[in-house]
Amino acid sequence: MKKYCNITPEGTRDLLFEECIAHRNVEHMLAAVFESRGFQEVITPGLEFFDVFSLECAGIPQESMYKLTDHKGRLLVLRPDSTLPIARMTATRLQNEGKPLRLYYTQTVYRNNPSLMGRSDEVMQTGIELLGASGKRADLEVMVTAIEALSRCVPDFRMELGHAGFFRSLANQLPISDEIREDIRLSIESKNYSALDTILDRLEQTPEVLAIRRLPRLFGGEEVLQQAAELCPSEDTMRTLDYLKELYLALREMGLGEKLIIDLGLVQRNDYYSDIVFSGYVEGSGDAVLTGGRYDHLLEAFGAPMPAVGFGINVDALTKLMLESGNVQTRKPADVLVHGDDGFEMKALKHSAFLLKGGLRCENSVFTDRQEALQYARKKRIPRVDYVSDHIETVSVWEKGGKG
Amino acid sequence: MKPLRIALTKGRLEKDTVDLFEKMGLDCSAVREKGRKLILPVGSGEIEAVLAKAADVITYVEHGVCDLGVVGKDTILEHGTGFYEILDLGFGKCKFALAGPKGKDFFSGYATKTIATKYPNVARTYFEGKGMDVRIIKIEGSVELAPLLGLSDAIVDIVETGSTLKANGLEVIDEVTPISARLIANVASLKLRKAEIESLIARMEEAKKISQEK
Repeated sequence: MKKYCNITPEGTRDLLFEECIAHRNVEHMLAAVFESRGFQEVITPGLEFFDVFSLECAGIPQESMYKLTDHKGRLLVLRPDSTLPIARMTATRLQNEGKPLRLYYTQTVYRNNPSLMGRSDEVMQTGIELLGASGKRADLEVMVTAIEALSRCVPDFRMELGHAGFFRSLANQLPISDEIREDIRLSIESKNYSALDTILDRLEQTPEVLAIRRLPRLFGGEEVLQQAAELCPSEDTMRTLDYLKELYLALREMGLGEKLIIDLGLVQRNDYYSDIVFSGYVEGSGDAVLTGGRYDHLLEAFGAPMPAVGFGINVDALTKLMLESGNVQTRKPADVLVHGDDGFEMKALKHSAFLLKGGLRCENSVFTDRQEALQYARKKRIPRVDYVSDHIETVSVWEKGGKG
Repeated sequence: MKPLRIALTKGRLEKDTVDLFEKMGLDCSAVREKGRKLILPVGSGEIEAVLAKAADVITYVEHGVCDLGVVGKDTILEHGTGFYEILDLGFGKCKFALAGPKGKDFFSGYATKTIATKYPNVARTYFEGKGMDVRIIKIEGSVELAPLLGLSDAIVDIVETGSTLKANGLEVIDEVTPISARLIANVASLKLRKAEIESLIARMEEAKKISQEK
């Protein structure tokens, strides 16, 4: 029988030294952004009932969840997403708290990806949820926080803004089944113009059909909103476009210029998004590193209707960029190696406690003789060794090194 | 500025793409006389072509190490969709078809049918759509052999002229889906390098129209 005791499962990996430093740096930087804006940290269980994520609107295919059962045979999953558990938690444990609630999280999510694709099954995510608040102020706060979070971590990025309501109000006016509607949504999401044309060719060519046909191409600057308005001047869509324009102009005041894109073809799989949706992209990462939006009807599914908006960031992707940019300081070696001779082990530990109190970083020698301790210090580039016997002798490693 | 990197499926699609590029006035001499090199400059350095096997084109584009790719719809259907499929290039046309022994009614009877194919995902999706349970066997080489040897009741495969089928006493039972070459783009690249990619797409569409009018 083959044993797998020496390897990690596909899609997972160990993080070592500077990888950990970079990882924690990103986490701390982002947590600082969130905390300074009044968001409070929460942690949800790594294991949850399958039912939390099998809601129709969740959009998480069941084959992509890691599943197991509890002792009663009930189906559990390794958390594949953080927004749904936070919605569950808010609807139950926080439903009587004053609103709005500002929550943030930093936790791993698990997805069972097809094998040999080079994807991670375990991804560290951090993000915020602003619950119990609707309207422009809340949307702007969350988007500005998202922009701030990205600019702390990377020099350049693109933030794109869309609206789930735009596609929805167009699609609602078509005489189509839910399956065809999903096919249309998928083709728009993957900007598959030819597939979209094939589906739409079968329908009567109403203004809505023509507008949907153009949807994947409707991305860019302010001019996109104008184009969209000409395509379908219905009351519903005009309201959506006016709102997007308001947000776009407000955000542009931050001096974002080219960094801010409008994409009306941003129709995400997570069907729980009800209004604005946005994604962040950075050079060097092939997929969106930030996704978010407003989900005003999700909490209803958990029995406590309230508006909400939030986003999640892929910490691993930003960590990788930080490592590649070489902006990670590796841990310096200890300042002192403390070696106690035979019979002076406790005295040596006390001596290092004394040095530690003075702000030095100390390692203890686990060797039996002084020569070995010195060699170790040389190898680890520790500049100073303190030998502890009935007295304390300090040697500088590099002077000794010249001789030996 | 970094060149736009485009992955081309080696072989016929690569040739057709190079023809298209040349119609657009891009210098493709490096690709035409490539020797053993796998990364080649196109035009005056604004584009870099990477030559790869079809499925790898998708992998490179999905991971964002190539911004764009030219690949057949057959490969896209078989290997997932984590990218934008932005243009039907109009060449490399053929179709996926269900084929079986001539004169035999494939859909008759209630026994579970066995299907041999190089494209198990395409076959599975097709039969799922029909609500039919089938047994799928993956074959690497000439799939036409499987029904002849009695391994399967039918095959799902790419059909161009149908002459291989005919020569082996098989016929098309049903057309699964038409196929042609597609231009695909990495999701982040299309956002980060929108202007460059859009102008390239526009020029490719233009050249495609001209060649179709001829």
